[in-house]
Amino acid sequence: MYNASSRIFRVLLITLLTCVFIVPVKTGRAAASADFSPPAPDQIQYEPLHFELPQAQRVVLDNGIVLYILENHELPLVHVKALVKTGTMHDPSGKEGTAELTAYVMRTGGTSALKSSNVDNELDFMAAAVTITMSMESAQVGFSVLNSHLERGLDLLAQMLIHPAFEQDKFELARHLKNEEIRRIKDDPQRLAFQEFNRLIYQNDPRGRFPSYTSLANIHRQDLIDFHRRFFLPNNTMFAVSGDVTRDDAVKIFTRYFGRWNQGTLPADIPPPSQRPRAAVYLINKEIPQSTIISGQFTVSKNNPDFYAFTVMDFIAGSGGFPSRILSTVRNNEGLAYSAGSFYRAKPDYGFFGSYAFTKTSSTLKALSLLDSVLEDIKSDSVTARELDWAKKAINDGFIFSFSTSEQIVWQQMNIAYEKLSPDFLINYRNQIDRVTLKDLNNAADKYLDKKKNVVLILGDSKKLDHPLPTGGFTLITPEE
Amino acid sequence: MKLPNIFKPVLILIFILLVSGPGYGFDLKKKVLKEKLPNGITVLLLERHLSPTVSLYIRYRVGAVDEEKGESGAAHLLEHMMFKGTTSIGSKDYEAEKKLLDEIEKTGQRLDREKQKGRNGDSRIVEQLSAKLKALQNEHKSYFIPNEIDRLYTENGGLDMNASTGQDFTAYHVSLPANKIELWARIESDRLLHPVFREFYTERDVVMEERRQRVETDPDGKLYEEFMNAAYGTHPYGRPIVGWTEDLMNLSPHALRKIMQRYRAPQNIVIAVVGDIKPETTLQLIEKYFGKIPAGEQTNNMIAAEPQQTEERRISVKFDANPSMILGFHKPNTPSKDDYVFDVLETVLTRGRTSRLYNKLVTSMQIAQNVSAVNGLPAARFPNLFAIFAQPRHPHTNAELEEKIQQEIDLLKKQPIPDDELIKAKNNIKMTYIQSLDSNSELASILSYYEALLGNYQYFSDYLDHIDQVTVDDILKAANTYLNKNNRTTAFLNKIKE
Repeated sequence: MYNASSRIFRVLLITLLTCVFIVPVKTGRAAASADFSPPAPDQIQYEPLHFELPQAQRVVLDNGIVLYILENHELPLVHVKALVKTGTMHDPSGKEGTAELTAYVMRTGGTSALKSSNVDNELDFMAAAVTITMSMESAQVGFSVLNSHLERGLDLLAQMLIHPAFEQDKFELARHLKNEEIRRIKDDPQRLAFQEFNRLIYQNDPRGRFPSYTSLANIHRQDLIDFHRRFFLPNNTMFAVSGDVTRDDAVKIFTRYFGRWNQGTLPADIPPPSQRPRAAVYLINKEIPQSTIISGQFTVSKNNPDFYAFTVMDFIAGSGGFPSRILSTVRNNEGLAYSAGSFYRAKPDYGFFGSYAFTKTSSTLKALSLLDSVLEDIKSDSVTARELDWAKKAINDGFIFSFSTSEQIVWQQMNIAYEKLSPDFLINYRNQIDRVTLKDLNNAADKYLDKKKNVVLILGDSKKLDHPLPTGGFTLITPEE
Repeated sequence: MKLPNIFKPVLILIFILLVSGPGYGFDLKKKVLKEKLPNGITVLLLERHLSPTVSLYIRYRVGAVDEEKGESGAAHLLEHMMFKGTTSIGSKDYEAEKKLLDEIEKTGQRLDREKQKGRNGDSRIVEQLSAKLKALQNEHKSYFIPNEIDRLYTENGGLDMNASTGQDFTAYHVSLPANKIELWARIESDRLLHPVFREFYTERDVVMEERRQRVETDPDGKLYEEFMNAAYGTHPYGRPIVGWTEDLMNLSPHALRKIMQRYRAPQNIVIAVVGDIKPETTLQLIEKYFGKIPAGEQTNNMIAAEPQQTEERRISVKFDANPSMILGFHKPNTPSKDDYVFDVLETVLTRGRTSRLYNKLVTSMQIAQNVSAVNGLPAARFPNLFAIFAQPRHPHTNAELEEKIQQEIDLLKKQPIPDDELIKAKNNIKMTYIQSLDSNSELASILSYYEALLGNYQYFSDYLDHIDQVTVDDILKAANTYLNKNNRTTAFLNKIKE
């Protein structure tokens, strides 16, 4: 096991600027108390609110591990989260599922020092929760423990991340469970539709591949060992630590259990999707009474100056809840859907924008045409100053106030660094959103929204749609298993 | 549980650390301020200053269980209608709008009645009335500003604005910057006193879509609905919260107003405010806005008790999906001592990889994809269920899972569980409890929940003490009293095409 080392690690500490936010307010007299009649909601006077967003401390250990630490001693809990630069997009070709199985068996397959059953017993006894999950462009580690078990808990976590044993029977079990998960995806229409939509938009890109029975059958235990060795490296990992631990203790304990983790050669980045998918309508047939409709196209990245205008546009189009255009049209006005809206996934080097609605079979194409017409309408400069004002206030205030636990705060700050965004991204974000004008928004809508570029997927009962799709106007697809 | 020798010292250590009495550095009883307004509304206040935000919950002791027969879904549809504004929020000229709304309601009612006749109805009348309703709805659009409540909250930094309807309660919640509490008080007191049911018939269609999404196209939702309906033959817990399709498509504004009336009884209202507050100031503000609600008693519907179950109930659902199953046993509700015992049992059986059923069915025998036990379904104002959900792994079957789960239940009835296993379960419950204290909105939810349920939020602050008192004998006794076949409902979902 990895005993305490007396070696003193050089600790690099960067103090970040504390950002102070002041929310501007109108000031005025307090409401009269006698014969109280409620003011119009827009006329209520509020006290000004000053506050400082707590700043996490950044520490880099000798072997390149980056720690973001935020102390909070209210409860006897410590939360550790980590991001590892990897993801299912790195699955070896023909062996899709390797990344997910690696993460799963790191957690469940024991360590070089402890059998899996012993790891599970210890963790369950401490009531410590450890999760290692793989997504498309990263792996996330989650760990929560009572502060009294922090040492032993981190010891176990380090063993899982650095020296997983990948026990053969746990690998087999994981593969069986993944097979069953694939079998069950098609029981869930929305999940199936979004997976197949991703497959369509990331055509010929490593991001557009998903595990199948065949690809899972091709994976061997050695593939997991190789995948782990390639990506789980100290210089490829960032930790966010929050809760009832001091900065010095956190550094000491991390150094003890993760300090001997050897650096390795960083794997090459996968470039952003370069090939644009063919715009077309795709259909998956399933005899159910409600259709899932998704439509979208590639768009502005986070590093593009138009990112802010596009963010506001997306909010007004369909991410901003009830007052947003898609929800108020498809849901409130027409009663055609309970769930509808837009989504904007912005990465540092590419972005994707889409809209969706789940509606009864007999209104499928009507709902699709409403989604299109809402976006066309936004392109025709129909957004009002009042809508713009609402969206900017909502985005900015929602943004600051979404950090209400130390866990969220430190996670957000680590993500900025993980995405290699400028350290003052959080402060600039508000200013940039605030500066978006109607002209910027209209330009962005005009420049990037193009109906003709949409990939459209409909999952539903194709024989009972509101009117038949034109012959040759769509492609019927059968999801592979 | 068999444990290697080397493992024992670790266990003892944990035993000492986790079960060494209270005092984690928080004591809710000292921190929560509970006040009753003169009209009878209960207010709970808890200061937490980590961030300049506040979570606000208003919980009504009114839920789906309070609906009349034939009006299932009314409480939930009412919750949707509460976002449509008030006489002073969203209205341009309420007097004029009111006339139009009355006309819409009259037309909608006539249309519903004609449609209810089914084949005996006059299709021409249905067509005429539909067209008239559509025209009136279009005209109405110029009389109001939609989504004002949502706009006001989001524009002022509101987050997680939502509402939820359960069998027992309906709750409305939002998190706001700490200086904006008055906005919340203004909106919530107004929609309680002066709500306007705009877009009623369109919203009813939206809820039909919600039902399609959650039940008609979702095997889990479908199985759960049928399972509950089988488990409760008499008591309204057997009805779905979203409503049966036939009830839902005919729901009237009148059915919603009857539920609304119950909201307004102050003894049915609990407010919880958690976050960066000055309790005295916050309380004054709440009194200013909510003090106007008149005191008064509300007589509740008589709700027929579920008769004691005497034989097993089995149902089977056919669906185009892979198999899954639910087992459920009737048992007493909170705050019965047995309810705490079932919280422990839920953990012993399926919390964590080393829990009994997970370890046996998923890891060792490898016949299940997943298994999870839940205590206290579907709600807790009335006696409820202890349920076990499981999905077999292909090619294994529901029947195989049922047999193996039964074996584990038989074991619980025969053999006392080892002490260390009980300690492990209690440790897990404590961890979950402490984690729930980390969030303003979760605290506001939990405090208002127990206050509404038992008239005393302190159930929650005393919770761990009661869990500590659960013994091995309690578990043995509860298993023998409740986990019996004649007290069981079994629901299988099997693939339609096999």
